[in-house]
Amino acid sequence: MDRETLVKLEQLNQLSLTSQEQDEVLAFFAAREADWEALAAIDTENIERMVHVRPMTNVLREDVASQPFDREDLLVQAPESMDGYWQVPQVL
Amino acid sequence: MSENILFISESSEEAASGSQLTLGLDDLILTKGMATSAGSKMLAGFKSLFDARVYERLHEAGCAVAGKVNIGEFGIDLLGETSHFGPVLTAEGQLTTAASQLLANGSVDAVVGLDVNGAQARAAALAGQVYLKPTYGCVSRFGTVAVACSGETVDVSACSTEVVQQVLDTLAGHDDADGTSLPESECARLKSANSEAAPITQVKVARGLLATADEATQQLIEAAIATLEAEGIAVSDTAPETDKLLSVANLAWNILMCAELCNNVNRFEGMKYGYHAEKCQSIDELYTKSRTEAFGSLLKTAILYGSEVLATNNYDRCYDKALRIRRLVLEALTEECAGGTALLLPACAKRAYSLAEVEANPNLAFEENRFTAPAAITGLPALVAGGVQLLGNAFSETALLRLGAVLSSANLAGKEA
Repeated sequence: MDRETLVKLEQLNQLSLTSQEQDEVLAFFAAREADWEALAAIDTENIERMVHVRPMTNVLREDVASQPFDREDLLVQAPESMDGYWQVPQVL
Repeated sequence: MSENILFISESSEEAASGSQLTLGLDDLILTKGMATSAGSKMLAGFKSLFDARVYERLHEAGCAVAGKVNIGEFGIDLLGETSHFGPVLTAEGQLTTAASQLLANGSVDAVVGLDVNGAQARAAALAGQVYLKPTYGCVSRFGTVAVACSGETVDVSACSTEVVQQVLDTLAGHDDADGTSLPESECARLKSANSEAAPITQVKVARGLLATADEATQQLIEAAIATLEAEGIAVSDTAPETDKLLSVANLAWNILMCAELCNNVNRFEGMKYGYHAEKCQSIDELYTKSRTEAFGSLLKTAILYGSEVLATNNYDRCYDKALRIRRLVLEALTEECAGGTALLLPACAKRAYSLAEVEANPNLAFEENRFTAPAAITGLPALVAGGVQLLGNAFSETALLRLGAVLSSANLAGKEA
């Protein structure tokens, strides 16, 4: 991981690190190379991935529209709102 | 020294007379009446529109909830040191968690939280308290702040195994609102009414992990072994192949935890709720400034690491590999714990941690979690009692708690020399 790639990763995650923070993250990433080598040394040939630790099936509900919360309640926590909508900086 | 903030918000409700227990809820559990911040500046003061299922169940059972307990940012740190509201220190100046301090000073009977990366297990071990991370899927996570969904579970801390079991009796149960909730018949196996639970008659020591702990911690484990043998428990060691897998369990867990965290905290962008950066000219600037100003360094590192392990060029050797290692670890531990066996291991590498050493190594939680990651990555239950950790097979909680009562009352810390 070099600084240029890290900056791209920051942009992807909507973060902007200081150069000191970048140094710390680059050191963290460099240390993870040894982790990945340790994992590579474990033979996982023919071992299936395990996403869920217990047997589970997806839970589906009826495709019926509902309104669990009032619009006004949802907007109470909004830092800025106007006329029943979230207010954001100009997009266009 | 700055003042310890133990509750980030307190209940305004009067405790009903004859309340069963007084509890604290950690700051990852949503409540309508009290703010939930996840220990983060991003959510400071946030009030949920609904209550978590665990809060409802405690309320219905007549428990009083005293307030929301300070935790580290999104629960991923060592001992709560990354909280927006500040770390919590013991009278001796060592790091602890707000939950452990509240238990130690008698303010609450128990604390119910969400375990993500072992902070409360470590704190309970350091304080000689009792801590239980139950089998994944047996306590509803509906209404908890999602961080690392495939391994995080609601947890319980208290000063005795009896109180932990009492809280577990209230919390365990199926919930249709939680897609990962197990059937009621399986959840019920955690309750004290489950008389079919086989006792634990054998303990295996995870020697490989133990060797990475300091001398005082190793002596504590030896004191636990002596206590267990005196109780007629057979003690042996885990197989070398298991030790090898345990040595990489946290490396795999770090990958899975950060990958899931990266996706889960994407929702926090400073627009719909939470911290909102000022004077932004574009929506991209609003997102980036809000997240940059509100998230702490450890969380940013975890987000970036999670993003990196999911990148196309790393996916197979990191994320995919970690999922396959999860299966190997679960299979190995299930085999080791078969037939009424539990694993004995430390919950942390030392008997105390200072704020200075964590500040010198802010990523320490990703190393010290080698003792708690085996439970997190497998979803198996883990109990901390008497300063040591027992890990058992799924649904072995009542048996673990019975053995934990023996360890709790044995004063292991006084015997370690």
